[in-house]
Amino acid sequence: MKNRIQLSLFLLPGLLLYVALFVFPTLTGLFYSFTDWDGVSPSYAFVGLDNYKDSLSSIVFRKAFGNNVEFMLTVVIAQTFISLVLALLLVRNTKTRIALRALYFLPAILSSVSVGLIWAFMYDPSIGLINYGLNEAGMGSIAHNWIGDPKIAIYSIAAVQVWAHAGQMMIVFIAGLQGIPAELYEAARMDGGSKWQVFRTVTWPLLAPSATIVVAYTTIQSFKAFDLIFTMTDGGPNYATEILTTYIYHTAFGSYSFGLASAGSMIFLVLLALLTLLQFKALRADRVSY
Amino acid sequence: MRKKQKYILPLVSMLVMSILLSACGGGDNAASGGGDSSGSGKVTISFMHWRGEDVEALNKTIDAFEKENPNIHVEMQTLPSDQYQSTVQSKISDGSVGDVFASFPGAQFEAFTKAGLFTDLTGSSFLSAYNPKLIEAGQHDGKQNAIPYQLVYNDPIYNVKLFEKYGLTPPTDWEGFLALCQTLKDNGIIPIAFAGADIGPGQFMNTMVMNNAPSDDIFTKVEAGEAKLTDEFWVKTLTQIKELNDKGYFQQDALGTKDPAAGALFIQEKAAMLASGSYQLAQNKLQNPNLEQKLLAPITVSADQAKYEGVHTTTFMLAVNSKSKHPEEAKKFIEFLSNPEVAGEYANQTGQNVTVNDVKYDTPELQVAGDWASKKTVFQPRFTILNGDNQKAVTNSIQAVLSGTSPEEAAQQAQAIIDQHIGK
Repeated sequence: MKNRIQLSLFLLPGLLLYVALFVFPTLTGLFYSFTDWDGVSPSYAFVGLDNYKDSLSSIVFRKAFGNNVEFMLTVVIAQTFISLVLALLLVRNTKTRIALRALYFLPAILSSVSVGLIWAFMYDPSIGLINYGLNEAGMGSIAHNWIGDPKIAIYSIAAVQVWAHAGQMMIVFIAGLQGIPAELYEAARMDGGSKWQVFRTVTWPLLAPSATIVVAYTTIQSFKAFDLIFTMTDGGPNYATEILTTYIYHTAFGSYSFGLASAGSMIFLVLLALLTLLQFKALRADRVSY
Repeated sequence: MRKKQKYILPLVSMLVMSILLSACGGGDNAASGGGDSSGSGKVTISFMHWRGEDVEALNKTIDAFEKENPNIHVEMQTLPSDQYQSTVQSKISDGSVGDVFASFPGAQFEAFTKAGLFTDLTGSSFLSAYNPKLIEAGQHDGKQNAIPYQLVYNDPIYNVKLFEKYGLTPPTDWEGFLALCQTLKDNGIIPIAFAGADIGPGQFMNTMVMNNAPSDDIFTKVEAGEAKLTDEFWVKTLTQIKELNDKGYFQQDALGTKDPAAGALFIQEKAAMLASGSYQLAQNKLQNPNLEQKLLAPITVSADQAKYEGVHTTTFMLAVNSKSKHPEEAKKFIEFLSNPEVAGEYANQTGQNVTVNDVKYDTPELQVAGDWASKKTVFQPRFTILNGDNQKAVTNSIQAVLSGTSPEEAAQQAQAIIDQHIGK
């Protein structure tokens, strides 16, 4: 009994924080999603499911959802691939591996707002470092209006997201690679397997749990991205990079439609929860024993 | 001893939690207005606004006010403008802070009015210090809810020396404006530095639409469903902006250029015009003291059809919180700010024009905008769009044409978004 009380006391601070910072705001948001509250007035009216209907039929909301999916898929595919390649290169026992690992991990510790502001400046078509560098290197034909062209703006931001987080995911892959028993590699080599065959039949299947973690984390992180897009394009040009989080922000604080923004947030929460559930299922399915 | 140790960690955790929670809840206490200093009879009022860059100048103003009113102490609290937009209402809504607060015109002013956050200042004696036309933006249903303190001309800035070098003068019609841009382009000068990625569309649309619009309240009509963006006035405006872009009168890839980069092109004298407003004059001069600048609005019609010469905005709207415990002291502070000498000091120190009459401006940059007081200007059309989403739809249609969409299609896309809002 005493133990239970002590355990409860240990859990209490965390529980209080969770209730104060997640449960309470979520329930408040849910409540306001059924109202026409403007975020300022002391009074509001209940509008039933109108905000949900309006959100789901909104042209901008749908565009934002499409952009969200596009951004997420780009980031997940690119980040998983790049972080895996980096991990395979840096898992070896070379002298420079620690320095290189730190170098690739470094962007993960920077504030995403700073990253966004710096990259927006680097992407500038007139005075940005990227086009300048490309022109100086004789590759002017590749120079582009990176975040000003609606066709590619979302991919330009996705590239920054990958740059910022690939090092972090590389560490997860390295941990996974280091956990694979050396005997399995020896056996595979003794059987005459080529490098590609060893990777395909030994490394990749045993790396599946790490890959699942990387994919799950990246999916959720990229789906709820905000800071980078807010600082680099604020959803523009012409909604080309508007995603659900920026849509919710603009609806709440741009047009003082807190009820509508709350409904958008609830839909977003459900989408994110579904994604997470799917990821957990996949995580269980991919468990490997050896 | 061991038994005691078992309790230490949970107790420490709880203590830390209490400190954390009390810290979270106590953020406003530092600037809490409404309190009297114990026993001294001194009243403390809180002044909330977003202009962190004006703090130094306003501190001097506050010192002078406190000398004149020894029983009133003013505590100033500033937030960055984006945070101000998103959090100020929750801070000031119970009156514990922001006895005097500033509001943006447009959507925020409307929301605050609806929420009853403004004290009606109608009939206050200090209103006579202001140009009556310039404080209209703070009125609602005939009541003076707030007093716009700053005056901005949202007209492009031009480089006087460059214009003189090529024998150019501000044109009075659209053909003249196109010819001027062509001359600049032929001489290797970027005619207009345009921050298409952020502030450009929102600033430039004002002068571009002012003479195309059939009435000053055209966007009010659009939001009421009585006019459409697909009507001639907006399609024509988009067509003309597209023409400027297609003819290369904006810098290359203008849609990817942000405000600082566009500003740099103008400051470095690579561009002859900067599509921003008078608020940028002082900053430009600071970075290039050789600059000689004036304002110019593109006239999009023939000279005889032009109704307006430019655009103005009145902002930084000072208000007294309706929940304030010290409304008289708050009004006294606004009255002090309304004094032409005080307003003049504020203007000259901050580089911003003000709406107060008889203010003497020290710098050529402030005088440039001051000269515009005699011109026929219209209140910034963009701020007559009261819904933020609608505003975004309108400015985004400019970005759409710059990225290749036809003006008709861009107008239609924006109208579709507005139509959805009208139904709500």
